Amino acid sequence: MRHNFFILIIALLIASIGIISIYSSTYQKEGNLWQEIYKRQILWVLLGLFCFLFVSNMDYRRLWDWTYFLYAACLFLLLLVFILGAIRLGAQRWLKFAWFNFQPSEFAKICLAIFLARYFSKKSVNDISLLSYKFGIFRGIILPFIFVAIPVGLIIEQPDLGSGLMIVFLFIAMLYLTNVRLRYIMIFLAIMLIPVPFMWHFLRDYQKERLLVFLNPNIDPLGAGYTVIQSKIAIGSGIIFGKGWLSGTQGQLHFLPESHTDFIFASFGEEWGFFGCAVLLLLYYLLVQQGLRIAKRTNDDFGKLLAYGISLMLGIQVFINVAMNMGLAPVVGVPLPLMSYGGSSVLVTFISLGILTSIERKRAVF
Amino acid sequence: MLRQAIVTFFIILIFIALAFGLVNLQVFHGVKYRQLSEKNCIRLFPQKGSRGKIIDRDGRVIVANRLSYDVLILPQNAKQREALLLKLSHLLGADYKDLKKAYREGLVSVSVPVTVARNINYKKAIALEELKFELPGMIIQPNPVREYFYGGLASHVLGYLNEIDRWRLTKLEDYGYKTKDIVGFGGVEEKYDYYLRQEEGGLSVEVDHRGRQVRLLGFRPPINGKDIQLTIDLRVQKIAENKLGKRKGSVILMEPFTGEIIAMASGPGFNPEVFIDKQNSTISELFNNTDAPLLNRAIGCAYAPGSIFKSIIALAGLQERKINANTTYICQGKVLVGKKEFACWSTHGAQDLNSAIAHSCNSYFYKTGLLLGGDEIANYSSKFGLGKPTGFDLSYEIGGLLPSPLWKRLNKFQKWFDGDTANFSIGQGDLLVTPLQMARMTAVFANDGFLVTPHIVKSIAGKSPGNYSKKNHPLNFKQQNLDLVKQGFKSVVSLSSGTGNVLSGLGVEVAGKTGTAQAPPGQPHAWFVGYFPYKGSKLVICVFLEHGGPGYYSCVVAKEIIEEMSKEGLFNEA
Repeated sequence: MRHNFFILIIALLIASIGIISIYSSTYQKEGNLWQEIYKRQILWVLLGLFCFLFVSNMDYRRLWDWTYFLYAACLFLLLLVFILGAIRLGAQRWLKFAWFNFQPSEFAKICLAIFLARYFSKKSVNDISLLSYKFGIFRGIILPFIFVAIPVGLIIEQPDLGSGLMIVFLFIAMLYLTNVRLRYIMIFLAIMLIPVPFMWHFLRDYQKERLLVFLNPNIDPLGAGYTVIQSKIAIGSGIIFGKGWLSGTQGQLHFLPESHTDFIFASFGEEWGFFGCAVLLLLYYLLVQQGLRIAKRTNDDFGKLLAYGISLMLGIQVFINVAMNMGLAPVVGVPLPLMSYGGSSVLVTFISLGILTSIERKRAVF
Repeated sequence: MLRQAIVTFFIILIFIALAFGLVNLQVFHGVKYRQLSEKNCIRLFPQKGSRGKIIDRDGRVIVANRLSYDVLILPQNAKQREALLLKLSHLLGADYKDLKKAYREGLVSVSVPVTVARNINYKKAIALEELKFELPGMIIQPNPVREYFYGGLASHVLGYLNEIDRWRLTKLEDYGYKTKDIVGFGGVEEKYDYYLRQEEGGLSVEVDHRGRQVRLLGFRPPINGKDIQLTIDLRVQKIAENKLGKRKGSVILMEPFTGEIIAMASGPGFNPEVFIDKQNSTISELFNNTDAPLLNRAIGCAYAPGSIFKSIIALAGLQERKINANTTYICQGKVLVGKKEFACWSTHGAQDLNSAIAHSCNSYFYKTGLLLGGDEIANYSSKFGLGKPTGFDLSYEIGGLLPSPLWKRLNKFQKWFDGDTANFSIGQGDLLVTPLQMARMTAVFANDGFLVTPHIVKSIAGKSPGNYSKKNHPLNFKQQNLDLVKQGFKSVVSLSSGTGNVLSGLGVEVAGKTGTAQAPPGQPHAWFVGYFPYKGSKLVICVFLEHGGPGYYSCVVAKEIIEEMSKEGLFNEA
């Protein structure tokens, strides 16, 4: 119960920092609707809190039973995006509901984590050892990859390269964790990497630009490189103590695009400086660390894998987002969990944390 | 278990990597990024004030300001310079070679814009501004320039504007002048530059990503230069310049009681507008012209006064009781001084003071001068302000040269001979005066014995310039003696045999003195100084024609000016 509480506290702290930053980065922007955005985020966080409490009190083993249903639902939603999806910022990622937009790719992340956790924690009927020790290359890699590839393909087609790559990364991490032979993983990675040079032609123009710009932001300072440059300026200009809340110029004067979503870290860094950023990173680290600790302590293989999957996904999302904000990673649409404005991401993250807590609670059962 | 430990370690690693990234960005390079963020959102908009206007005594604007547009090229943004220059030459209708030359000569560094074309008109500026994105590296810069409503009128009084030169910069640096400042050269523009010049102000504005103003951070209003009102009457100035025409010389009209200059013309003139356009060929022509059109001949050049100097001799003779009204000499066409013959220009016979002035008889003044002696003449001349600047309020006034026996010994290491005195007496020899000094000398007679300080600035920003409200200096001549000379001046015009008889019958009684100063090689200088009307003496006039022939020609110019003035009804007002 102590850890249960600890995760929630950290999550709420980060979410509050997020709300404060969203308020600040939308501050002074004309029009009331725009300024209301932080209120919606508060609503999402409250909703996320309920989900967290609900899921954490639920037996996570039920997810084992729901796995295929969840997987199917996930595929269905992703297909639905293609048919009904709302197009925003040149991408078709959102499903429009009554008063909010839902992003199925966020949902897909947790679904696939559950799916992979179940897949690799199958036990043989004869003994209680994990089957994954005995998996050959087909059952160990090819078959699960096909299951992963279908939703990932759909997500990349949206296009949402960031979420797609996140899931691929999750897949590789799970492979590694479940004692699939290292040899197979290496072969798989090799096969994945060989076509990379050819993949270039399949990338969208904007994706190519972003990659080139990542290598050298100055090739197009007003176009694709603009975001990276402005984001670096925003973070850097915070220096040690920051410009102070509501005093960030980069975010409030719109020099920094997406200052309340993907680049919220930059607008936070601008106003709170190195100290603020360090504290924030520490909170994220503690959160991920809690997840990893739960995973380590769990005896149930499904729960263990699931906890690892969720923690790793969280950590890697934070890493990619912050690195992208600092110009250390190419600009891909990965939100900063709990901070970035967006209901789907907030809800899914709270649910994931709820699952973690649930795993921790049920540990004693096994 | 090993794999799980590796994964845990991996997570720690990525967070350490992020922390390093943060330290690098915020701690090591923070200051740089802070500056960049300020550069992003803080814009400075310099606002130029306008230079003070120059108006005439009745408030007519002579010089004001307008906006002109310059075309600049920022080398670092102009990737295809040749193509850009070629396009500009098409659009501006200018020669490609000229633009290229201007670019090459003006290039200092890639980050400093180079001016390639100046003073393009408003429509072209708008057209170019619209093409800004197709012509990267091009900048259109508006800047206020002088607008001369009357072209070259009074150009010597006004002066012109140009980029500050090194000499002026070293002199004026302490007063806040900077390189590339536009300052006055010559005339009022230079002398009163400190008052006329504007102070640059500006806005510092916080802008958003589209350059829209979000809020004002600071504002320093530009300070306009102070307007300067001249004592010049534009209408009289116009007449004076028209009548002087293309001749070399100078015309001055001055109020004898106050020293206010009503008109000051100098020929040949120039058009100050050429310095706006930077028409280099025209400018170098101005500087290389042997007639020195930039020289204000009224103050900047000294000449032998010739016979007009005789008025000083006459007064000095009377004051020193060497002669009186009835002193009579017989002019035989020449006078023997020592062993040398000094000629008169005619044989006048018996001449008293009045007729000697009227006829400008050399013999009479040789003798008077010899009675006075060189020292006494020099003494009286300096009372009339010769040999030193008048204190006129324009730059580059010279004092001329007033010889004396002492001066000759000190400078030429020679004795002063009677022959020198004789030459001195008729305003020849080493004596050199400016037309303004002669106008001032005439004013002494016109205002009955006061030495005035000529000036041309009536007020600065509505306030009278204190340093020129100098009291007129009384010379303490006997009124009776002044009247006798004035009588002579009147006879110059009124006697049919008088040298200035051409000025009679104008409807206004003019009194004055002509002069024909020998200035070999070439024609003599033609002088006329006088005042009108005889009673009341409202205006002093001085006409000087450099190598213009006999004094008669100056009388003709004076006559035309006075005629024209009374035709336009200016005379009664003035």
